[in-house]
Amino acid sequence: MISVRKLTKTLGTQEILRGVDLEVARGQTCVVLGRSGSGKSVLLKHFIGLFKPNTGEVWVDGEEITHLGERQLGPVRKKVGILFQSAALFDSMTVEGNIAFPLRESGLTDEKVIADRVAEALEMVDLSGEQKKMPENLSGGMRKRVGLARTIVSRPACILYDEPTTGLDPIASDSINRLIRRLQKRLSVTSVVVTHDMKTAFHTADHVAYLHEGRIYFEGTVDELRASHDPLVDDFIEGRSGDE
Amino acid sequence: MLTSLGRSVISFIGYLGELATLASETFRSLFVAKFRGQLFLRQVYEVGWRSQLVVIVTGMFTGAVLTAQTYFQFSKLGMKSAVGSVVAVALFRELGPVLTGLMVAGRVGASFAAEIGTMKVTEQIDALRSLGVHPHDYLVVPRVTALLISMPLLVAESIGLAILASYFVGTQILDISAPYFLTNLMRYTGARDIKMALIKGFCFAVIIAFVSVHQGLTAKQGAEGVGRAPTEAVVICSLAILVINFFLTFALNILFPYGS
Repeated sequence: MISVRKLTKTLGTQEILRGVDLEVARGQTCVVLGRSGSGKSVLLKHFIGLFKPNTGEVWVDGEEITHLGERQLGPVRKKVGILFQSAALFDSMTVEGNIAFPLRESGLTDEKVIADRVAEALEMVDLSGEQKKMPENLSGGMRKRVGLARTIVSRPACILYDEPTTGLDPIASDSINRLIRRLQKRLSVTSVVVTHDMKTAFHTADHVAYLHEGRIYFEGTVDELRASHDPLVDDFIEGRSGDE
Repeated sequence: MLTSLGRSVISFIGYLGELATLASETFRSLFVAKFRGQLFLRQVYEVGWRSQLVVIVTGMFTGAVLTAQTYFQFSKLGMKSAVGSVVAVALFRELGPVLTGLMVAGRVGASFAAEIGTMKVTEQIDALRSLGVHPHDYLVVPRVTALLISMPLLVAESIGLAILASYFVGTQILDISAPYFLTNLMRYTGARDIKMALIKGFCFAVIIAFVSVHQGLTAKQGAEGVGRAPTEAVVICSLAILVINFFLTFALNILFPYGS
């Protein structure tokens, strides 16, 4: 569904990605692990054309999107949705306005159909009846759920999650992890989850990639990750800094 | 020192290039993207209606004070009846468009830069892009078109109110004869002055729209970045209005020579 080949990216003077190769199969959930600042979110945003690589290729659903312009990326972005780290809700709109936004933009005008689709998306993220709230009145976990509802309402074939549990308390994090898993089963979508939260990785992943110093350092299944004796991977899983 | 000057010149040329790219992409959006009537009307309300207080106060008090000052000087020379025409020409050709431009830069330019800057740092612009909506179509075009249409009207309103205030101060508070005031005003001002005011207003709208939107789109992360965007937008717009007004005055005097 998504693949990147020899991807490099420099931001300012900092080399973020130094030749990333990654393949995400259709229907699979791939978790990209890595320390804060390792370039996970930058890598994820390449999958939807929000960043352009310096060199390398990005393929989505059999189409190379590396050099597509902003307007040409429109059809690709209908297939791939993203949940941003901050949820990125439009703060001038209600919950309903946010979720209905992609539907209205795609040309849907029947308000009854829009209202039904919004209600269905909210039901999927366990937020039924919250249509009229403004984003400023939502908790962090609720904002992520509304962001997710906005992503799934147009039924994409692939969902990208940028740090879905960052900034949430353990219970809200667990609830988001379960929600990701449930959506995978219910919608049969391909998912890419970028996180440094091992609970998210173990709970949601079919496939794990560990990004270190701008390259994929480890790739395998969750069981292979658990069984790994590589000191770097081991330290990350156990959360050992190595400091005295 | 030369190196530093060279760097500043290159950076200034780069900045002008970015503004030109923004303008050309916006122009393209006008033709390739669907027209978002509701967003446009909301911006007309924000730009036109919500600027009423500053435009009314600026226009009326500028007209009033300019009349008083001109009267104090001209009355010594026995030229009181010329006050109306001098004030009107000054308002149409310079003060009306420039002062309205500066006030709108402060109110509207700052709000464009702050709104778009906040959307940028909170990933809302990336969210628009991820949903297949071009930020130029959704954010830039409605704001730019609303300002380009509203600004000449605001300039006309400001000048109209300034002349009304001038008439009231000149004929009701000071002792200028009303028929003389009006006759001289009509004799020495004409369509060329109105055209000059509206063209200047339109040019200043172009400056305010693109400079402030550009400041928003290029806002840096964090509270400092978002705070700096509107401040810089107002400073750049104000300086650009004052400098470009000088060149516009010469160019428009060739097109619409005074006394022709």
